[in-house]
Amino acid sequence: MNLNESKNCERTKLEQFLNKVQLPHWYKKIGIVILILSFITLLILKFINDVPLWFGIGLKHLMLIALLLISLSREKVEDEMIETLRSKSYALAFIIGVGYSLLQTIANYFVDLFLGRYDFSNDLGHIQVLLFMLLIQVGFFELLKRTR
Amino acid sequence: MENRIKIERAIINITQDELAQRIGVSRQTINSIEANRYVPSTVLALKLSQIFNKSVNEFFILTEKD
Repeated sequence: MNLNESKNCERTKLEQFLNKVQLPHWYKKIGIVILILSFITLLILKFINDVPLWFGIGLKHLMLIALLLISLSREKVEDEMIETLRSKSYALAFIIGVGYSLLQTIANYFVDLFLGRYDFSNDLGHIQVLLFMLLIQVGFFELLKRTR
Repeated sequence: MENRIKIERAIINITQDELAQRIGVSRQTINSIEANRYVPSTVLALKLSQIFNKSVNEFFILTEKD
């Protein structure tokens, strides 16, 4: 068995598929620019009245797309260690994301109870959870890369 | 698991960067392998074996903890 054959043996079809899904490295820069611009616009919107609701939601979706671009873009040197670190960061983001949605719901419940509001319908939006998970993934991936 | 990558690299007199380029990984990956922070795949171990012209067991050594 030569090296290429053993490489194909070692990598599952899922891994090979995931490698195809990744974007070129320069998408990361586009993602960062879109993320910063949409974040600044969202901050400015907080101080402006009479802004259509769809605009704010649209900006949050744009942030989500920007984070996805950053998350899916390749590194300059994409080797097996980077793949391992990326997998770890996705696993961490998933676990922390689930923990966040559970704890945040409980925290909201107690805050509502403390403030005397008894509707308890304060549910987390999917955009908030997804933004949090992607932020954790991107953050942990960078952290793991720097401390490797 | 311990390894003798740093020693083997010194024997053939190449830098981390040169070794990284030869086996198609980043210099940081070589650094992590040498520092025992990362255990490479079989493919990478075999590539190292080709470069050092030695069998994998000669530079990756199992310890009692393994």
